[in-house]
Amino acid sequence: MALYEGIALIQEKQAVVLDLGTDYTKFGFTGEAAPRCIIRSEFWCTTERRFKRVYDYKTEEELYENLVHMLHRLYFRHVLVNPKERKVVVVESLLTPTLFRETLAKVLFTHYEVSGVVWADSPRLCALTLGTPVALIVSIGARDAEVAAVVHASVVLRALQSQPLAARAIHDELARLLDEDNGQELHLSDHIIEDIKVKTCFVGSRERAQQWADGEQPSPARSVQYPVAGRTAITVSGRTRELAAKPLFARDNELASLPDIVLQCIMQCPIDARRALAENILVTGGTAAMPGLKARLAHELRYLVTQPPYSSRLMVRTFKFHRAPAHDNACAWAGGALGGAADAAGTRATPRDVYARRRRLRDWVCLLDNTPPDHPHHAHQL
Amino acid sequence: MAYLTQPDYVKYICSCGQLKPITSLYFCRHCLKIRCGFCICHEVDSHYCANCLENMPSSEARLKKNRCSSCFDCPSCFHTLSTRATLAQPRQAAQDAAAGGDTKVENKQPKKMYYLSCFNCRWTSRDVGIPDQPVASGGWPERTNPFTTRMNQLLDYYKAIAQQEKQEKLERERKKFAIRGKYITLTDKTGLTGAMARNIAGLPSSDGGSSSAIANFVASQASEDVDELPEDIYTKEVNLKQITSMAQRLASPEWQPATVSRLHPLAKLLSVKRSQRCRACDHNLTKPEYNPGSIKFKIELLAYYHVPEVKVISFETIKPGEKSALLIKLTNPTGHEMQVRLLQPEDLPQPEEREEPKSIEKSLEKSLNLEKEPLPETVPDKPSGVRVPASSRVCPPSMTLSLPQRDDAAEYDDDAHHDTDDVILWRKSNKIALRLEVVTESTVASGVPANALLALEYSYRNTVPPPPTAGGTLAGTTPAPRDHTLYTTVLLDLGVVSG
Repeated sequence: MALYEGIALIQEKQAVVLDLGTDYTKFGFTGEAAPRCIIRSEFWCTTERRFKRVYDYKTEEELYENLVHMLHRLYFRHVLVNPKERKVVVVESLLTPTLFRETLAKVLFTHYEVSGVVWADSPRLCALTLGTPVALIVSIGARDAEVAAVVHASVVLRALQSQPLAARAIHDELARLLDEDNGQELHLSDHIIEDIKVKTCFVGSRERAQQWADGEQPSPARSVQYPVAGRTAITVSGRTRELAAKPLFARDNELASLPDIVLQCIMQCPIDARRALAENILVTGGTAAMPGLKARLAHELRYLVTQPPYSSRLMVRTFKFHRAPAHDNACAWAGGALGGAADAAGTRATPRDVYARRRRLRDWVCLLDNTPPDHPHHAHQL
Repeated sequence: MAYLTQPDYVKYICSCGQLKPITSLYFCRHCLKIRCGFCICHEVDSHYCANCLENMPSSEARLKKNRCSSCFDCPSCFHTLSTRATLAQPRQAAQDAAAGGDTKVENKQPKKMYYLSCFNCRWTSRDVGIPDQPVASGGWPERTNPFTTRMNQLLDYYKAIAQQEKQEKLERERKKFAIRGKYITLTDKTGLTGAMARNIAGLPSSDGGSSSAIANFVASQASEDVDELPEDIYTKEVNLKQITSMAQRLASPEWQPATVSRLHPLAKLLSVKRSQRCRACDHNLTKPEYNPGSIKFKIELLAYYHVPEVKVISFETIKPGEKSALLIKLTNPTGHEMQVRLLQPEDLPQPEEREEPKSIEKSLEKSLNLEKEPLPETVPDKPSGVRVPASSRVCPPSMTLSLPQRDDAAEYDDDAHHDTDDVILWRKSNKIALRLEVVTESTVASGVPANALLALEYSYRNTVPPPPTAGGTLAGTTPAPRDHTLYTTVLLDLGVVSG
C-alpha cells in the first residue's frame, strides 16, 4: 500500500502556483523557494496593438479572454509546461470579486483542462511561511492594504480590514508632489512614476513626518534629477522622496490609516488572541519593500496604541515583527508553494470532474458554504 | 500571404465564433472545421535555447529550471551576453620574474581567460566582481537562494504534518469498525483520552515517532526590531545609475538585487516549440520538426492551405442607402478543383449540433471507464453568436463558380484571362476576381465603420482515409476521396461609411 502510494506521488506532476496580482503576477512550481517568474499582469493584445492589463475588463467575456491570454503567456513563455492534467494552486485575496474567481475557474478547468485547482487565501498562505500558530498579516499590494488575523490556521473574518492604501495611493501622491516640485503638470506614465518611486522614495520617520505636517522644515534629503527621454530632467525634491508614502499614514476622523486598521483588526479579534497577534506581525506585499515602511509602521503602532481610542480598549503594548523566508512581493506565493507541495494539492483541490458536474466554487461569503453542518437549514434541504 | 503589416481587411469567423484573419486560422481535416488559436489545445513539444539553438530534452530542462547552461542574458538590459577572451599573465610568472629566475618557460605563456560582456549596454561580468573563467563556456559561479534552507525546513515540517493527518484519518476509519470491548475504559470514566493524559503528564505524544520533523521544527521568531532606515539616507546623494529598476530586480525573482553591483548574469530562459491539437477530435493540427534550427512542420493544417482565400481588391465608398461596387479575389489553395458559391450569411444551413459519433475505440474507451462519469462538454465557452453587426449587404450572384486547382507553374503566366461576364472580372489559374454589389441601408449613420458579411459555400475534397469502421475496411482498396460541401463566413472591412 505504502509503495503503491509512493509511485503515485512520483507520477503526480508538480503543481504550479499562480498569484495573479493587480500589477505583478507570480508564477512557479510548488516546493520551490522562489517563483519562476514575476511579470507584469499584462499581455500583448493583437487586436488593440498594445499591452493590455488583465484587470482591465468590463464584461465577463473580456475577462475570460484576458485570462486565457495571460495564462498562455505564463505557461508557454515562462514556465514551459503543459497546463493539461496538472494541478494549480491559486493564491487569492479573501476579497477577490466572485466574477473574477469564477471566470478564472472556468478558464483553468475548461480552457486549459487542469486536473484540479486549490483555492487558497493569501493571509493563511503568508502565515504558512512563518510556521507560527497565530499571525497578523499586513499585506500591502498594488491597490489595497489588507490586514487579516490568522489564528490557528483560520482567518478571523469579522476582523478583516481593507483600505485602498497601497502602491496606487503612493503613485497618485507622488505624481501630485512631482507636479508641485516642477511647477507644471507632468502627466508621467505609470511606469515612470513607479520607477521614480522604486529608485528614490523612502518612508521617513514619524518625527520628521510630524515636523513636515506642522510646517517646520526639517533639512530635506538630497533632491534628485530624474532624466526622462524626450524632455528635460524632472526634479524630485527631498520632500517628495520622503513624503510620497504619506497617504498610507494620513489620519483623519475615519481612523482609516494603515496603522489604524492594523490596531482595529487586533481590537476586533477575540481577546485571547490579541496579545499573540500583536507579537506576530508580518508586513508583506510588494509595497512593503519600500525602504523605511516597516519601521514607520512599527513606530506608528507603538505610538497610536497609547492614544485614544486604542489606549483604553487595547491592552497590548509590545509589537513584534516577523521576517518571512521570501521576498516581500512573493511571500503569499511562497506560502502557496509550501502548502501545495505538502499536501493541499493532493487532498484539498477541487478536481475537474467535480467542477464539471457542478459549476460553482466554495466561497466564504456564501451561505451554502458557511452554514454550520448542524444548522436546521440542512434538515430542511433533506 | 495576407497582409503582414496592414490591418486585417478580411476576417473569417472561426467555428468558435472568433474573428481572425486567415493566416492565424487552422483547418482540422478530421472535423472539417476551421479552428483558431483560441479553441485548440496547445502543447509543449520540445525545449530549445533560442540563442545557441541547442535542443534540450524536457527532463533535463526541468532539472535545469528551463535555463540554458551556456547562454546568458545581460541583467541590466536583457540583451544576450557575449563571451570575451583576454590574455592574462599568470601570477606565478610574475613572481618568477621578480626572483630573477628563468625556470619554466611554459609558465610565462599568457593564459586565455574569459569574461561575459554585453555589446548593447557594455555591462561586463567584471563590473560585479565575477572572476574570469579559464574555459569559454560554463563554469560560471552559481548562486543559491538565501531562503532555500528555511523553505526546505518548512516544507519538511508541513509534509510531516500532512503525513500525520493522513495516518490519523486512516486510524479513525479503522477505529470506526473496531468492536468496543465491554469493559469500561479510562476514557469512558474520566473523559480523558490517552493522548490528553500523556500531554498532561508532559510525555511526548505516543505517535511522535515518525515526526522528528515536527518535533525539531522551530517556528519563525518575531523580534521588536524592524529594518530601520539607514542613517545616511537624508544626507546621501542618490545615484540613479546604481539602483536597479523593477524589471532588473524581477528578472531574477530569487535574489531581486536592489543595487547594480549585485546584478548577476541571467542564464537564458529556454523557448519551446508548440504543437497544436484539435480539442474535438484530438488530432494534431500542427507539429513542428524537432530540430530547433528548422522552421518547418511535420504536420501543418493551416486554413490558408484548405479554405478559399478572399481578398478585397477595391471598393467604392460606402454611402448610406446606395449601391457600391466591390471587387474581390477568390483563391483556391487546394490541389483539387473547387466549386464556390457566394451566399447571404442567413442562408447558411445551421451547423448540425454536435457530435458525429466518434471512432469506435473512443466509445469503447468510454464504456470501459464506467466509473468515470462522462464529463460534460468542456470545450471552452464560445463567445458564440458573435453577431457581427454588418452595415452593408453583399448581393451575391446566384451562380456557382469553379476554381481550378493550384498550379505552381501557372504562377509564371502573366496574362489574366478576361471574361466578358459582368460578375467575373478575370480568371487566372486558381484565382478569380469578382465584381459584386454592396447595398447599404439608408439608416446607417455616416462615420461608422463599414463592413459586410459574405458567406461562402465551397466543395472540399477530403483525402484523409476514413477511420476504420466496425466491420473493417476491405483490405487493399484505397478509400476514395470524399467530397464535402463546407461553409464559411467572412467579414469584409470596407472602410467607413461616408456621409
